[in-house]
Amino acid sequence: MNGLSTVINLLAYVTALVFVVGFLNKVILYFKTPNPLLIPTTPAPTTTMGVVARMIPEVLFFRSLLKGGTAEKVLWVGGWIFHVTFLLIVLRHLRFFTYPVPGIIMAFQGLGILAGLLFPIALLILIVRRFTNDRMAVITLFQDYFVLILIIAIGLTGLLLKYYVRTNLVDVKAFILGLLTFSPAQLPDSPIFLIHFGLVLVLLAYFPFSKLMHAWGILVSPTRAQADNPREARHVAPWAQ
Amino acid sequence: MADIKAPELTGEIITPKVTPGASKGIMPFKAKPELMEKVNFPAEKPSNWKELFLKKMEEILKKYRSVRVFLDECVRCGACTDKCHYFLSTGDPRNMPVHRQELMRSVYRKYFTTGGKLLGNLAGARELSDELLEEWLTYFYQCSECRRCSVFCPYGIDTAEITMAAREILDATGIGSKYNLEIINKAETIGNNLGMPGPALRNTLDFVEEEIEEKTGVPVKLPLDVEGADILLVTPSADFFAEPHVLSLEGYAKVFHQAGVNWTISSHASEGGNFGMFIGNYDHMKTINKRIWDAARDLKVKRVIAGECGHAWRVLYSFSNTLNGPFDFLDSQYRQPSHICEYTLDLIKKGAIKLDKAANDEFSVTFHDSCNVARASRMGETPGDQMTIPREIINACCNKFVDMADDTIGERTFCCGGGGGVLTDEMIDIRVKGAMPRMQALKRVKDSHDVNFFALICAICKAQFTKIFPIYGIEMEEVGGVHQLISNSIQLGAKEGV
Amino acid sequence: MATLDVEGKSYEVDEEGYLMDWQEWTEGVAGAMAKEDGLDLSAEHWNVIKFLRSYFEKYQIAPMIKILTKELAKEYGKEKGNTKYLYELYPAGPAKQACRYAGLPKPTGCV
Ligand code: HEM
Ligand code: SF4
Ligand code: SF4
Ligand code: SF4
Repeated sequence: MNGLSTVINLLAYVTALVFVVGFLNKVILYFKTPNPLLIPTTPAPTTTMGVVARMIPEVLFFRSLLKGGTAEKVLWVGGWIFHVTFLLIVLRHLRFFTYPVPGIIMAFQGLGILAGLLFPIALLILIVRRFTNDRMAVITLFQDYFVLILIIAIGLTGLLLKYYVRTNLVDVKAFILGLLTFSPAQLPDSPIFLIHFGLVLVLLAYFPFSKLMHAWGILVSPTRAQADNPREARHVAPWAQ
Repeated sequence: MADIKAPELTGEIITPKVTPGASKGIMPFKAKPELMEKVNFPAEKPSNWKELFLKKMEEILKKYRSVRVFLDECVRCGACTDKCHYFLSTGDPRNMPVHRQELMRSVYRKYFTTGGKLLGNLAGARELSDELLEEWLTYFYQCSECRRCSVFCPYGIDTAEITMAAREILDATGIGSKYNLEIINKAETIGNNLGMPGPALRNTLDFVEEEIEEKTGVPVKLPLDVEGADILLVTPSADFFAEPHVLSLEGYAKVFHQAGVNWTISSHASEGGNFGMFIGNYDHMKTINKRIWDAARDLKVKRVIAGECGHAWRVLYSFSNTLNGPFDFLDSQYRQPSHICEYTLDLIKKGAIKLDKAANDEFSVTFHDSCNVARASRMGETPGDQMTIPREIINACCNKFVDMADDTIGERTFCCGGGGGVLTDEMIDIRVKGAMPRMQALKRVKDSHDVNFFALICAICKAQFTKIFPIYGIEMEEVGGVHQLISNSIQLGAKEGV
Repeated sequence: MATLDVEGKSYEVDEEGYLMDWQEWTEGVAGAMAKEDGLDLSAEHWNVIKFLRSYFEKYQIAPMIKILTKELAKEYGKEKGNTKYLYELYPAGPAKQACRYAGLPKPTGCV
């Protein structure tokens, strides 16, 4: 194994640790922070089952976003395609992480390719709306462009690897499986792959400290996750006794 | 004040161009040191104010999951940007909910996140400064805590929670709103927001009794501090003072009279409203709310009923079980407070009160969903009944009712522009503007259905619209309460009982 | 602290010109406030002011508007015993403007 491989292998482990610990840390922090009062945005379900039923379309279809006007509909299209394709791509990548590859992942491969193509288009919509609308221009921060560009770059290097500078997939798989089995292997000999992989590490390391935590936040957001049941049960947080 | 101009009424709500600083300079009067101390806040901003500020902020981050999660999870998608009535009417970018939150989020980054500490400006982090305080005082008091933004946010981020936390931090730093704190002090020491002592209250109730008897010939009573009454009514003290508020008070009294129940008002808890909520202060909210439960216990009532008031109902319905529950001393059928609308509709359905719709024939009525009722509480059994119950009442006592446009009612209702502790004269400019979306929606039904009665269930809404209507060129007499319509149409005497 | 100067005496007032101490009030105070607003105080104006003060002395609070309009009706007949007429007298709002002239604190709350 060459020097670069060693460094990248090490970096991968450090990043994975940062991601997992950082993510769990936030999850625990949110759980430890109480909700002193019942503040669901009403009309809200009055039971836990009802909350689950409210949450599913929120997570799967960004339901609240659909309540908005034209700008939100455009955002919905871009955002929803982005998230779904992102998910499909992640699933498609599982073929590098598994051996033998389960049939269900193989079944995704075709969809995964379509996703790979729609993905940059969706991201383009998301990025363009940030500077073409005067309200978006005001609220957009550096880090908002940063994640979008980071993810676009990941997507584009991915497409490059697939269509132009084909890499030896056997090497890739060996490298990833090496990481997973703690028997580090040689980095595939491809600068594009190195960039693609490196950017993914950046994304993972950045995730827990950024707005990307909305992926977890939505599930514990009290206005959506609380049941509207003050008549049925007394709700008291420890500090507010 | 006379030179305040209202936006033109066209019936359209158009998203404005962003105009930085458009509503700069509109902010509440600061409370004087004596007042600050009376309500347990530092008298003045001390030289070490930054310490106090950050200490309070840290405490809130530990105590409120809402604030912590909301600060972390916003993706700046922009869905909320044109949903706030204050932005729609001023174009000031700080009145876009996400940008209002940004005033706190930027401080959060600077002092509570690694990225912000390291990258500073680049990461959108901002240091504490007098200028920032000024912006906080301005824009966290140009929010009526109406929660409209939270309906459209994909994560339900509720700017009202951020606003409340911000006001709590400002108070802890020695910067308070005179209007809000004066009211809190009066509610805690005298028992109501007006500062109306018991004898004045009795005198007022006597007067209302006379009025009803003069108008109807029926001796309807408004009992005060009656021990052993079945029902304790808690209503905003504005009902004892202002118009059209008092006309709804007459309505409640007639309903109780006709139902033949023993009811009472309490001089100890002669206020339904709770401004502790507006400033995000748990202790004040609890103290003010406790007066109600002390009164309910002392008077040994079986049931507590809330009069027409938006935020009062939020506190009573959503919070009071948490703050001062459990209420096991109440009748087991009525463990929780009810809303007067729930009570009245129930009587109507049972046939216990008779209504003469023709009595309201001069009115073409529309109904304004008060945001605290629509988006922060419930009535009845099913979610959403808080919208249908008042409408059912109106339809039971009026022949002509029409709703305003769908995207301006129900959970998407537009605030009156004066809620959340903004209802004070120095804020009149933003109050007039903030009412704009609601006024446009009203304009449309005025044009199409000749609406001339704007029915409300919130004391703040009533006061706000009475003030704002004439500025928009509409008669203030068109503002009224739902129970005012009941009062007009209820058939007294000819009692059938419950 | 802002002050209002009347006939050589200065009175403490708040940001909106309400007297800090209602007991310091004199007729001159009301006159000066009205003059600032460009209002001529008629007998009807004074009647409102006097009624407000006597009510406040008894109850430590201004009366409900309806009580005031009823009082006016007693005095001047039905045409003048209504809110509209009160607003004609005190265009900035009877509860607030008249209370200010009468030296009473501003009514607070959801009014
Ligand atoms: C691994 C998980 C996720 C990642 C990496 C991710 C990434 C992102 C990114 C980068 C944006 C910003 C787009 C922009 O700047 O315009 C975004 C926005 C958004 N995300 Fe996610 N997200 C994840 C999971 C979720 C989940 C579980 C939900 C379900 C509610 C969700 C809902 C949204 C919504 C509604 C938006 C706003 C629309 C948009 O800007 O596209 N995301 N997400
Ligand atoms: S809608 Fe929610 S996530 Fe989007 S910008 Fe507003 S607060 Fe942030
Ligand atoms: S809570 Fe209401 S007033 Fe405040 S930002 Fe949201 S929409 Fe605007
Ligand atoms: S005053 Fe009325 S409309 Fe305005 S915030 Fe309150 S309940 Fe809503």
